[in-house]
Amino acid sequence: MSEQTAFEQEVAGLIVDSLNLEEVAAEDIDPEAPLFREGLGLDSIDALELALAISRAYGVQIRSDDENNRQIFASLRALAAHIEANRAPV
Amino acid sequence: MSATHPLMLDHPAPLARVADRDISRRAFLADVHALAGQLPEASAGFNLCTDRYHFAVAFAALVLRGQINLLPPNRCRTTLAELAARFPDAHALVDSADVEIAAPCRWVDAAGLRTPETGTVPEIPLDQTAVLAFSSGSTGHPTAHARHWGALVAVTRQARARFDLDRDPGQTLVATVPPQHMYGLESTVLYALLGYSRLLADCPFYPGDIHAALAEAGQATLVTTPFHLNTCLRSPLDWPPTRRILCATAPLDPNLAARAETGFHAPLREIYGCTEAGAIASREPTRDTTWMTYDGVILERDPATGLARAQGPQHPDAVLLPDHIEPLDERHFRMQGRLADQLNIAGKRASLAELNQRLNAIPGVEDGVFLAPAADPRSSHVQRLAALVVAPGLSEQEILTRLAESIDAVFLPRPLVRIEELPRTATGKLPRERLLDLLATQGECA
Repeated sequence: MSEQTAFEQEVAGLIVDSLNLEEVAAEDIDPEAPLFREGLGLDSIDALELALAISRAYGVQIRSDDENNRQIFASLRALAAHIEANRAPV
Repeated sequence: MSATHPLMLDHPAPLARVADRDISRRAFLADVHALAGQLPEASAGFNLCTDRYHFAVAFAALVLRGQINLLPPNRCRTTLAELAARFPDAHALVDSADVEIAAPCRWVDAAGLRTPETGTVPEIPLDQTAVLAFSSGSTGHPTAHARHWGALVAVTRQARARFDLDRDPGQTLVATVPPQHMYGLESTVLYALLGYSRLLADCPFYPGDIHAALAEAGQATLVTTPFHLNTCLRSPLDWPPTRRILCATAPLDPNLAARAETGFHAPLREIYGCTEAGAIASREPTRDTTWMTYDGVILERDPATGLARAQGPQHPDAVLLPDHIEPLDERHFRMQGRLADQLNIAGKRASLAELNQRLNAIPGVEDGVFLAPAADPRSSHVQRLAALVVAPGLSEQEILTRLAESIDAVFLPRPLVRIEELPRTATGKLPRERLLDLLATQGECA
């Protein structure tokens, strides 16, 4: 497993908190492993919940017609990169 | 000769919006005729299209050919395989590669680009079976429910009158529910086909999608569920003014209804319906605690089962309703909750009996049971199921993978706890309290 960057750690915490994943530790999420089905076993309800948490925390609206929507949720790394690229300047 | 009704209402308001184009009713009819001409001889076809315009074209083409639209309860591999075995001569209409079914598949890519058709709109016999939808029954197998063309015509007429849908011809339906679901079919495809509304090809999912669709359509009707409404209202978005909100699939909390009316600047109407009977009643949840049936629909108590049954123009034979319903008079009732075996998660229904049967059918599972933990009223999260499973040779992941082939993802157990033995009583029963205790203690060890 490759190491989480500081921002990936932050997003991992958001995933665990927003989805109530009691049995998962944020630091144990492999940044390159799939988030849905095989990996953490998340589904469309989780995708919606996670999109909501991301819009509240970073002001980034996830859209179905975003280019490569599947890739955004492909892994913690891809998701963190998408948020960083689209979040409002601080 | 039996009575008929046209395949669609013929008037100048567009039927659909595909990408950024309005599709006229006549252009739609041209797409329907083109697809109908390509369909094989069969009694039925699976309509698995996800794009709502594709679905509408496929739906009408099947009806035009006298074939039944088979609407599966989910897209899981095993579910589709079982239904394909039950309807061996059925073909399938698809528009995405992610669906796997053992039937001849035809790709639907209609986009309203054909030369509009000028001939008369075909007439369809009212007694023709247009749809077979499936509910998750206590027998453990999906039960088929037939809807005739006349029933679909009747319920659409009732809904148009009840919700004043004809006031603005061409108004847009922005819907978060799939067209294969009875509520999604009735409240989008049929309101467009047999009314004056315009359906959106897209199925907006994220709050950002719904916001963009509502803003673009201007004064649209939002067709949604309590689950989606709740998500939208928790997002930081400001909602564009909306004409009305229709909500169904699960009881709506009156506080959420009030927040939705404020947030969307729109009146909200809640619809009561089920796969068995379709929509039969509505209420204004911020004002009414009781439901009023659609015009012409009456309720009575079934003496044999004690359940309520509905009779109306769309139900020549009375249909038993799968909920605890207390009729106040022929037209009004209170909803007292679901029957014990029925679950509702994020608006999707399933029976515990079917889920348990699916779990125990997995090779290597010796015994297993699903349970719904007590709801936490403080949590805005969707409450998931848990499962206790005796399967010495299987990993948790292997069991989940097998389950995902036959049940919708929202019902996959979280957690799934593997144990040595279920606490069955001498009569084979599983006391719920014992199961909850076991879940609590095993969960700590995991």
